[in-house]
Amino acid sequence: MSRFCEQAHAELYSYIDGELTWYRKSRIKWHLRRCPPCAGGFSFEEHLKQRVHDDCLEDVPQELVDRLRTFLREQGPTGGASPKGA
Amino acid sequence: MADQATFENDVEEFVPQLYSAALRMTRNPADAEDVLQEALLKAYRGYHSFTAGTNLRAWLFRILTNTFINTYRRKNRRPDEVELGELEDLYLYRRLGGDGSTAAQRSAEDEALDLFVDTDIKEAVEALPDNFRIPVLLADVEGFSYKEIAEIMDVPIGTVMSRLHRGRKALERTLWRVAEERGIAETA
Repeated sequence: MSRFCEQAHAELYSYIDGELTWYRKSRIKWHLRRCPPCAGGFSFEEHLKQRVHDDCLEDVPQELVDRLRTFLREQGPTGGASPKGA
Repeated sequence: MADQATFENDVEEFVPQLYSAALRMTRNPADAEDVLQEALLKAYRGYHSFTAGTNLRAWLFRILTNTFINTYRRKNRRPDEVELGELEDLYLYRRLGGDGSTAAQRSAEDEALDLFVDTDIKEAVEALPDNFRIPVLLADVEGFSYKEIAEIMDVPIGTVMSRLHRGRKALERTLWRVAEERGIAETA
């Protein structure tokens, strides 16, 4: 593993999360085009992120949506205090 | 200043996402429903303090996350900080034999994850300690930026990154154990 591989790995997650500046992103892209092992690893991590996204989504039951709507309508207007954390 | 009268309309589109997140946080439908209901009630009561036109989705997730942490988690007494230990980069990829150095060997990276069914991934996420599971959910499932996650969890961005990175590696370790248990690790 070269110094360039190490630099790329240090920014692996920031790269796949789209958190890098244009310049740093370009530097990693440049390296990935020249380094198949790193390109494979980065691609794997992107796929895993996508799988977590796809597999963790859940349909909300319609009866729950209806129950929540009824619940909120029963509350009536309030001018209460801010919720914790809002 | 947001109008309480439009609350139902404004938040409706976010309810499925909030439910998914609540389910992955609490790990069961009954508790997810409780947390979601309580969070929506808090959001409704505090809607006048929300600045219309700003990030409503992040605001709602912040309330949901706080509701989970402050009420549900306290009740269930899970440890706050758990050491996950240090893991090398590309932990799972390397173990699944994906680090071949030629382009021809790389086709495996797409297929390597086919070893895992939906439930494997879901359970691996749910097995993460709260502090690591929440940033993983917010980033990977909800697509929030590091800055948004920092605001939702009320921690510095550096903390978000550290927990997210360690959480993802721990997730890979769990998935590797699943692969080993099934004996598919040897053939991978």
